[in-house]
Amino acid sequence: MPFLNDIENYKSLSIVGLAKNTGKTECLNYVLSRLRDSRKQIALTSIGIDGENRDQVTQTNKPEIELSEGMIFVTSELHYKQRKLISEVIDVSRQSTSLGRLVSAKALSKGKVLLSGPVSNHSIKELIADLKNKGVELCIVDGALSRKSIGSPAVTEAMILATGAALSANITQLVYKTKYVYDLIQLPEIELNLKTQFAEVDNGIWAIDSEGNARDTGISSVLLIKKEKDKLFQHGNCFFVSGAVTDQFLDFLKNQKQISEIKLIVRDFTRVFAKPETYYAFVKRGGSVQVLNKTNLIAITINPVSPDGYRLNSDDLKSALQDKVNVPVYDIKKM
Amino acid sequence: MFREIVSHTSGLQFLVENLGVRSPMGRRYLLDSKMMCCEKEITAELNLVDRVVKALELNSDLISQIQNKLAQLRDIRGSVNNLLGNLVLDDVELFEIKVFALVAQEIVELQKEGKQSFLEIQDLSQLIRLLDPQNTKIPSFYIYDNYSIDLAEARKELKLAKSKNEDSELDIEVLFNKAQVIEAKVREDLCSKISLHGAGLANALQQLAHLDLLIAKAVQAKSLHLSKGEVSKENTIYRGLFNPMIKNELANQNKEYQAIDIELEKSVCLITGANMAGKTVVLKTLALCQYLFQFGFFVPATSAQISIVDQVMISVGDEQSELNGLSSFASEMLNVSRMVKDSKSHNNVLVLIDELARTTNPVEGLAIVNAVAAIFYHGKIKSVITTHYSGLKSKFRKLRVKGLDKDLGANVITHKNINSYMDYSLVEDLEGEVPHEALRIASLLGIDKEIIERAQNQLACKNKL
Repeated sequence: MPFLNDIENYKSLSIVGLAKNTGKTECLNYVLSRLRDSRKQIALTSIGIDGENRDQVTQTNKPEIELSEGMIFVTSELHYKQRKLISEVIDVSRQSTSLGRLVSAKALSKGKVLLSGPVSNHSIKELIADLKNKGVELCIVDGALSRKSIGSPAVTEAMILATGAALSANITQLVYKTKYVYDLIQLPEIELNLKTQFAEVDNGIWAIDSEGNARDTGISSVLLIKKEKDKLFQHGNCFFVSGAVTDQFLDFLKNQKQISEIKLIVRDFTRVFAKPETYYAFVKRGGSVQVLNKTNLIAITINPVSPDGYRLNSDDLKSALQDKVNVPVYDIKKM
Repeated sequence: MFREIVSHTSGLQFLVENLGVRSPMGRRYLLDSKMMCCEKEITAELNLVDRVVKALELNSDLISQIQNKLAQLRDIRGSVNNLLGNLVLDDVELFEIKVFALVAQEIVELQKEGKQSFLEIQDLSQLIRLLDPQNTKIPSFYIYDNYSIDLAEARKELKLAKSKNEDSELDIEVLFNKAQVIEAKVREDLCSKISLHGAGLANALQQLAHLDLLIAKAVQAKSLHLSKGEVSKENTIYRGLFNPMIKNELANQNKEYQAIDIELEKSVCLITGANMAGKTVVLKTLALCQYLFQFGFFVPATSAQISIVDQVMISVGDEQSELNGLSSFASEMLNVSRMVKDSKSHNNVLVLIDELARTTNPVEGLAIVNAVAAIFYHGKIKSVITTHYSGLKSKFRKLRVKGLDKDLGANVITHKNINSYMDYSLVEDLEGEVPHEALRIASLLGIDKEIIERAQNQLACKNKL
């Protein structure tokens, strides 16, 4: 499959599912099986623990990732104990997650493991950097698009998006929803100067004044916007929102008379929690959105089969989606 | 324990924060250490620090190499306890122990190479041999094939089955489980062998923590110009005594700290002097030095002979009293009473009291100072009391801060530069009078003129009478 050549250019890659059962794990296993013959040192981890953990409650099968000999993987102590392969511990983290510390290990035989990983953006970045020091050439992150998780897959250089019938059984709807996430991923990145200013900011709404300096508006969250509307425009029409951007906030901005001057900066595409309708209305009225961290989407995979057995026409779905997006689309079942 | 003392000794927190301990257990070792009261122990520890200080001059590279290694160490107390409790450890714990042992051994090697043995570290080479059967010295671990032929066979079989892709999942599962069972047995055997080294590992953990602390103490001694105190059987004598925290603060403002000399006998000593003359700092520094010395640190002085005490008791009048419903006078008195009582039962102590009975009227206040001083005088208690009261009994030894004696010239003194004109040195004072400089200092501080004028008039009237 062609997108493997694209992967070669990056040092970190995340694979993100738009919903459960959209074929993320199959996509990951596919990528791994293809990378098996490359001479690269590959490492695998995951973001957070909540996504896979919920499966323990619903008793559905937890996806296990098939590793081949020589690959490095990072998982929690609890999941390390459940591994089904022979592996050698090469590091243990100092910090602990709710499933124990993170264990880095090298697979000595092929076999399956459960992945869990660091919870915050900061620790994912640190882990990726640390793995690089250990000689890892490509770090693959099993990423969840979860609103609960504070860690975001956008910290990786490249990304593959997995979508499918599990998200919607209607091709038009499925394409619409996927296109929305695609549009968000393609949001332009802000210039470096602002990027460094906001890299360490972790709360509140900040304005950028005419001189390009960051100024705290004193509003701690977009959820409080109703009460503190008056403060918002004191330093100008360009904002950095460190947390989530909601429907309510976009609606409020959309209705301002200077809408065409309003520029919104979010940490990364996962921070936009608004409905597609709200977002598109905001953009249509002239508002613009940029991100602090942009990732390069290299492909979208589709899984035409939903978990309840419903099957969409693979070719129709593929071409409908391909019409809308500028990255290659592949059927996970045909790869 | 150091942990308790650090919180209520002024200036000690500063030194601890500045102490470059590299490993988590180095810090714990310090906090858990007890105040040493035995001459042999103190001298031994100070000699060890001294050895590192000397090595810092000659071979600072070696020390920083050792420090880098120490920084890699993790506190594996939990795993060691599990080992001593004869539990079977998991791969992660065994990995931690192996990495620890490898780093420990590297430190042993570094000491050997540098022909410098600061502290004997337990030899863990046998343990390493157990955990590193392939002798790679690479910090990684799993239950190696080398441990058992059966295990190696089982794993080979499993690998073969997997690569053939013919066998069903079930067959592979069976083979995997078989390998797991053998692995569990091997692990058990390995752990029982390793547990013989549990005590050695615990030793090494303590020794490395101690080494870390020693190096940190030595580096700090060098950077802050601390010196090695000597045990004195008689008087405690400090030459060039200074307070590191205040010195540092002054240095930040481009000011100099004036070091002082002081000698304490086994009796009471009263310190008098103007306000802002640094009496409280002297008291706090004396307490600090006594603790530093008896926890095996170098002390902030150019030279020091220090007599060992069993306990340091200090009252500097900043106790919280509002909360327990006592006035500042009441809480001070209760505190002093406890000190007097303790000093009677335990006479080898150092008692330090700042401005005793300052919060009551001068007539009774003076009487209290004389009474407490008399008790310490007769009890031969090593003690220092600072006071502003005149009329102290002449039999007590008195030291006076020289104060604003320096030639001022045409310079105007303000509270900002008073520090440069104040002579902080202590002189033996044979009179009972204390300096009357309160109004002068107050006016330098720029307080309301009316207060000064009215106070001066009042004094003038009194003198006329």
